[in-house]
Amino acid sequence: MGLEQRIAERSGELAGKWADLILGTYPPQTQAVWKQNLERFSNPVGHAILTATAELIPLLLAWNDADAVAKALDQLVKIRAVQDFTPSQALSFVFLFKKLLRQEFTRELSDQGALQELLAFETRVDNLAVIAFDLYVAARDQVQRMRVEEVKRAHVNIVRRANLMHSDVAAQKAE
Amino acid sequence: MAKILKPDEMLRSINYTPPATDWMETPNDLSPGRFAYPAKLDKVEYLMHEVPGVFGNPRTWNPSDADWQLPPNWKEIVVNGFRERLDKYRSLKLFMDICVRCGACADKCHFFIGGGDPKNMPVLRAELMRSIYRGEFTLAGKILGKLTGARVMEEDVLKEWFLYFYQCTECRRCSLYCPYGIDTAEVTMMARELLHLVGININWILEPVANCTRTGNHLGIQPHAFKDIVDFMLDDIETITGKRVKCPLNEKGHEILFITPSGDAFADPGIYTFMGYLILFDAIGLDFTMSTYASEGGNFGLFTNADMMKAINGKMYAEANRLGAKWILGGECGHMWRVVNQYMDTMNGAMQGPQMQTPVNPITGTVFKNAKQTKMVHIAEFTADLIKHGKLNFDKSRNSNIIATYHDSCNPARGMGMFEEPRYVLNSVVDQFHDMPENTIREQTFCCAGGSGLNTDEIMDIRMRGGLPRGNALRHVQEKHGVNTMACVCAIDRATLIPLADYWAPGVSICGLHELVGNALILDGEGERTTDLRQEPLPGMEEE
Repeated sequence: MGLEQRIAERSGELAGKWADLILGTYPPQTQAVWKQNLERFSNPVGHAILTATAELIPLLLAWNDADAVAKALDQLVKIRAVQDFTPSQALSFVFLFKKLLRQEFTRELSDQGALQELLAFETRVDNLAVIAFDLYVAARDQVQRMRVEEVKRAHVNIVRRANLMHSDVAAQKAE
Repeated sequence: MAKILKPDEMLRSINYTPPATDWMETPNDLSPGRFAYPAKLDKVEYLMHEVPGVFGNPRTWNPSDADWQLPPNWKEIVVNGFRERLDKYRSLKLFMDICVRCGACADKCHFFIGGGDPKNMPVLRAELMRSIYRGEFTLAGKILGKLTGARVMEEDVLKEWFLYFYQCTECRRCSLYCPYGIDTAEVTMMARELLHLVGININWILEPVANCTRTGNHLGIQPHAFKDIVDFMLDDIETITGKRVKCPLNEKGHEILFITPSGDAFADPGIYTFMGYLILFDAIGLDFTMSTYASEGGNFGLFTNADMMKAINGKMYAEANRLGAKWILGGECGHMWRVVNQYMDTMNGAMQGPQMQTPVNPITGTVFKNAKQTKMVHIAEFTADLIKHGKLNFDKSRNSNIIATYHDSCNPARGMGMFEEPRYVLNSVVDQFHDMPENTIREQTFCCAGGSGLNTDEIMDIRMRGGLPRGNALRHVQEKHGVNTMACVCAIDRATLIPLADYWAPGVSICGLHELVGNALILDGEGERTTDLRQEPLPGMEEE
């Protein structure tokens, strides 16, 4: 049985273990609360972690639809892009799947002399990280863009007046 | 996003499992992006002069610096201030004593739900203060120390308060679930009062407070400039409807004083809501005036100190008396209504002049008995009453491109129990309306994460993670029902929900309730409209 088949057979279990590793990047008190509640509106982060891991494993196996992969990654990347993480910590969740694969399959494949199967599959996980990086940078760009746009919106009528009333000394004083 | 690591730091950080330290041992992270900018020196000095005893220690300082330039006796000031408030407010003493740490509130705060920092669990955030209460004021805490969860006041505790009591929007969602009814927002208010005594503050709150105190609105706009800005909107209404409507300013002898957040006059998209109000008033021939001195309904004083809040709030009655108004109609605002509904009568009720009366809708004759104490009526109630009595003619087709949902702004919802009126108005002016999931609306509504003076751009990351629960529910109705517009009745919401929606539910736009009313409302003598209030083509007019 090849590696891909083994992953496919255990995909539900592996998704759960991957999700646990991701939850492990949060403080213990937080993990306890987020593991208890699976409801998507009161626990959107926990829900996003479970959804992303469950969707990504079949997509990694099929590996024929980059857009679908990006869509499955998007919410979790956006969440971690605004949480209190360094960029490396934010994207570490992708590499945690690599860690899991090695934990679960290295010995078995090594015994069978089929370790190259794991190395080949890990390339997909590396590519997953690169897609996640694009999404992460897009999210960070968006946050900065929103800051600028917000400041502009907040003063729209003030700017309008200032442009029309250049010669009005009192107006400048007022603003 | 936190700071970017250097290569050697990254090697050390390769273990992504956070250390399992006890919360008291977790150090404060005061890197940029984790706090709002501190107040400018001149704002603090001005406010110290205007309202003595509330603010202190004006200086130029940076929370990222190790030295916060606190006064030498800062500990004494804070501990004495704490003692004074425990004596003054029985509620504070109760809230310090009765929490049994049952955890019902732990997962109810939007900042915790989105961010996962345990100190944002309301129970733990309040514990930051309770531990000091036990350590400084209870015998058991003084003797047994940490065994009772007690600690004494230190500079790091003060810094921790600054970090976390400015990651609470005082939205009171957690209080809803507390079996003892502990109002965690009031704990935050007390912590902020104590911080202000030693000059720990944020500019986004103190500058508007200073401006409101001086000129009556948050940007410090003076009367003549305010008039110009209102004239722009009258021009725009004329362009759109073909009719010149009126907006009297500082005129004496009108029945009603209208007060709305000044964001409605200055900021996009609040200006369209403001235009909606003026169209409504013209449609019913309302006898009203606005005041340029009480030109801000919102009260950022609420986020500083009770005395400051009282001073700013007093302008409303002062102007009603000066202009001879019988009652006050209030626009779409969040914390303005929290202050009006919960504190105004107690603080300033005695200021009401003899001319003020229980509000009566002059068009329908409805007596607003609920406003007997404060003499202030919420515009959503007022408009709902007009619609109920068939006094308004709508052309809903002008809003037929809108599939709406409604965000219950925390203060009108949890602070005054207003759930039905805005929905009734909304359903009267749009064809398609879909509520978000039950555990995210009405009294369980999720905050926009910018309330209580946190709607500033330098903490956009904090706002976005705090905004996740609201954004997530919005995304759900967007995907399920095609919702493209979220209406709300709060000026801060109208500003903060825009980036929130852009980030979490791209494609949903934000508007005030009365913007949609203004679009649909048919005025006597108006021309054919081809655009909405944003001067974008009406449905079916795209080609013209």
